Amino acid sequence: MNNPDKPIDPEREKRKIKSVKRMKDIMTHYYIDAKTTDQTGKKVAWITSGGPVEPLIAMDVIPVYPENHGAMIGAAKMGVDLCEKAEEMGYSSDLCSYARADIACATVNGGPIGGLPRPDMLVCCNNICGTVLKWYEVQARYFKVPLFILDTPFNHTEYTKEAYAYVRAQLNEYIAFLETHCRKQFDFDRLAEVGRLSMAGQRLWQQVLDTAVHRPAPMSAFDAFFHLALIVTLRGTRTVVDYYTELLDEMKTRVATGIAVVPGEKYRLLWDNLPVWFRTRWLSDKFAAHAACLVADTYTSSWCGTLKYLDENDFFGSMAEGYSRVYINIGTDQMAGMVMDMVDKYSADGLVIHSNRSCKPYSLGQYDIQRIVQEKRGIPSLVIEADMTDARNFSESQIDTRIDAFMEVLKS
Amino acid sequence: MQHSKQFQDIFADPKAYARRWKEKTGGKVIGTLCSYAPEELILAGGALGFRIVGGSGSISKADAHLQSYSCSLVRGALEDALNEQLDFLGGAIFPHTCDSIQRLSDIWRMNAETGFHLDVVLPVKLNTQSARNYMAAVMRKARTDLEAVLDKIITDDDLQKAIGTYNGIRSAMKRLYTLRRDRPGTIDGSDVHAIVRASMVMDRNDFLNSLTQVVESLEQQPEPESKTGKRIFFSGGVCNLPDVYSVIESAGGTVVGDDLCTGFRGLTGLIDIGGDPMDAIADRYARRAICPAKHSGITRRGDDLVRLAKETRAQGVIFLFLKFCDPHAFDYPYLKSMLDAEGIPSLLLELEEQIPSEGQFRTRCEAFMEML
Amino acid sequence: MITVGIDVGSISAKAALINAGELIGSRVMLTGYNARNAGENIFTGLLDDLGIHRDAVDRIVATGYGRNSVAFAHKAVTEITCHAVGAHFQDPAVRCVIDIGGQDSKAIALDSTGRVKDFAMNDKCAAGTGRFLEVMARALEVDLDAFGKMSLKADRPAAISSLCTVFAESEVISLIARGERRANIIAGIHESIGSRVVAMANRVGITEPVMMAGGVANNIGVVKALEKRSGKTILVSAYAQVNGAIGAALIAAG
Repeated sequence: MNNPDKPIDPEREKRKIKSVKRMKDIMTHYYIDAKTTDQTGKKVAWITSGGPVEPLIAMDVIPVYPENHGAMIGAAKMGVDLCEKAEEMGYSSDLCSYARADIACATVNGGPIGGLPRPDMLVCCNNICGTVLKWYEVQARYFKVPLFILDTPFNHTEYTKEAYAYVRAQLNEYIAFLETHCRKQFDFDRLAEVGRLSMAGQRLWQQVLDTAVHRPAPMSAFDAFFHLALIVTLRGTRTVVDYYTELLDEMKTRVATGIAVVPGEKYRLLWDNLPVWFRTRWLSDKFAAHAACLVADTYTSSWCGTLKYLDENDFFGSMAEGYSRVYINIGTDQMAGMVMDMVDKYSADGLVIHSNRSCKPYSLGQYDIQRIVQEKRGIPSLVIEADMTDARNFSESQIDTRIDAFMEVLKS
Repeated sequence: MQHSKQFQDIFADPKAYARRWKEKTGGKVIGTLCSYAPEELILAGGALGFRIVGGSGSISKADAHLQSYSCSLVRGALEDALNEQLDFLGGAIFPHTCDSIQRLSDIWRMNAETGFHLDVVLPVKLNTQSARNYMAAVMRKARTDLEAVLDKIITDDDLQKAIGTYNGIRSAMKRLYTLRRDRPGTIDGSDVHAIVRASMVMDRNDFLNSLTQVVESLEQQPEPESKTGKRIFFSGGVCNLPDVYSVIESAGGTVVGDDLCTGFRGLTGLIDIGGDPMDAIADRYARRAICPAKHSGITRRGDDLVRLAKETRAQGVIFLFLKFCDPHAFDYPYLKSMLDAEGIPSLLLELEEQIPSEGQFRTRCEAFMEML
Repeated sequence: MITVGIDVGSISAKAALINAGELIGSRVMLTGYNARNAGENIFTGLLDDLGIHRDAVDRIVATGYGRNSVAFAHKAVTEITCHAVGAHFQDPAVRCVIDIGGQDSKAIALDSTGRVKDFAMNDKCAAGTGRFLEVMARALEVDLDAFGKMSLKADRPAAISSLCTVFAESEVISLIARGERRANIIAGIHESIGSRVVAMANRVGITEPVMMAGGVANNIGVVKALEKRSGKTILVSAYAQVNGAIGAALIAAG
């Protein structure tokens, strides 16, 4: 927001990421497309953020993400009203705030974009949590539309051949589901192309995130939270590849010219869990004031973390493994291992853990991850008790003190 | 009731029972964290399944591993495991259920010393052929895994015997629940609760014998004088509070049925005999009364609840949920509205292991009875 | 027939005496440590006020969280049923009662005969209860009785978002530190209670006319906040605080 009374700070302007505007344009167009299907005749599918979107793209179905919507509601600080509305409907205030906000929003078409377009079908993949299953059941009853569930068994210690066979069989069921509800045949050649674009997009996103390896980092996790939306919502399209190519160029230029996102970067931190959407600016400024940059996070890297399981020559078949072995569908000790890999890769000096009331599969186990990282890497860590969308679970004074104390430890 | 003394004793101190059983038989006791644990395999392997439904006291060690927004079952169970309260276990089996138990499994495996650790990653979806195939494959894998940790070959003959025992238990439990429905007052709610809880820890063959005796003797008893209590149906998850029954009864209610996880839910469905035993076992787990963490159509639990409430001629339904139990909390609004549509009043009670405010709990139950 | 209703709440004890369907008198006092004594004291206090002998009372019904410690009562009935009956007596048109008590708040839907159709109560946490107000009054160093009037002077109610009473208290303390006007903070506290209680009441449906019962009804700020949040008019009778006791006395009369 421009404040006419405030003179423009050239230093601050220089550090702003210029691609932001283009990204906002793309997202605006995307939502306009999704909300004007009565004119285009396209179908809309609601899908979970970790769900297999590529077959939808190949079928010309517009994927819409209630979780992305939840993030927008949070960032627009509209979460509390909608969560309260859900509580009035009988949903416990202990439930996931994305789910609460979305369930309430569907009945009132509220929120920052006047609600999501009505779905023609629902696609739920439980690789991120069991919550999405219950949430999509609620929406399937409300909208009275077909629901497809891709059930991706959890990998505590091993990825089993039984699980592979089950998910692989479900991919065929998924295609049959789409053919039935789109009333047309599935084009596997088209999917192969979408798959290539999806993988190209994921590689580029990883490269964008990797630019923060440089000291000082050209971008922070707070920037990643923003630019993430495309790899989630439009994965498998040319738009994503083009956009991330441009963003990567901008980041490379920033590295070459030494533009740091946090001026005078001294401390490099790793963020765990979803953002606190309604406080990203406050948290970003808070850490920056200590010359601390959140150089990476476990959340945004989840959308490119399974590239090694995907096969460009058999994208469809490899989706079974790719979608099953995502970051939070694996054991806590494996997650700790990945956190340590990130600590090493990004040269993190400390770990900031968001204990997120809304997300049990992400948050339970964090204390063990914290202990393991402390033991094996000897870096300090901080736990922030908060929530991604429900601002009633955020205590500014408590968190303010915790961050200051943590930074004192880091500086000593 | 004198018959139920044995069950009440086991329910009062299940750990002491398991320790005695272990000493007497030299067998392995295996902790299970959910009613979907493949108990037939455990029995066929010569071990004793020991269902863990919560902890035994205040929480301190578990707080170092689990946030305050996890349910008392998960926190209590971990506390017991870390406190050596479960040192008699030879192993633990974690069937995949909810997000909280899923992470509890990891934390337990990394921190607790309770013998071997087995994850049985069941399907979440139960109503498709591929899910049922996977269920059978997971059960076969569990059989092989169990054979390895128990160092014993589980034969088909062992399985058939175990199936016979479990079919016996589930048939007898059904008769007990029929009695409770048709002749309320024949048996107290807290006695039924004790029997159900004993069914989760007692030597299953001994349990079947005792249960059969109790049911037969109850069936032969003359019809009790008609009880005027309001007919109440319990719906929900794990309820570790025996007092709930006495509160309801002293407030003028009679519990005539339930779909609780610590109730009838895990005791539903017989296993087909004659075919392949593993397929038959897997098939029964896909068909039995469903947990809200699993999926079998979008109104399955609501349809079941309305049917059961009508069958038991319930005048009111009381929902008993553990605080922080997401799957149940998500289902509540639609279950309530389906009951509303049938004109069946309901009351929601969120519980934690230790009732923090017993007065308020009692007030709600009493007010509900006054309302009916 | 003379009947008495005794409502032993967590903060105050109330009693009401009914003769032949008419309210003859009522009394309020602090419960104190001993709920048993409170029941006896409020009872004898009311009889003394009215100059009625104990033997003249035909039946007594106790209610409130201490209802089972009133040994001389003929019957104990929950405050939910009593509030419904009391509100129906005061205004038969009432279809919804909101009671904010010391340790819990409740919303009751009733039918045209005063019977409870459905009810909801807060969960065990103190947000949205009288206790929440007490904690906040202490943090602000303001007498709780002055809360209602002070909040009417607010120009811009402060946002207090935390659900948790402890967190909310620290929010209030930081607002004080930032120099926010007391009136705005208090109005913010009332709005926070309002949104919490309305969310709960919506679970049973807020059908007009709505009556507020319980001691907090005397706090005009909370009443205004509830009206603002629900968009409904809220009736407050002069007997709001003794509404439960009135209901109990009526139930005693059968």
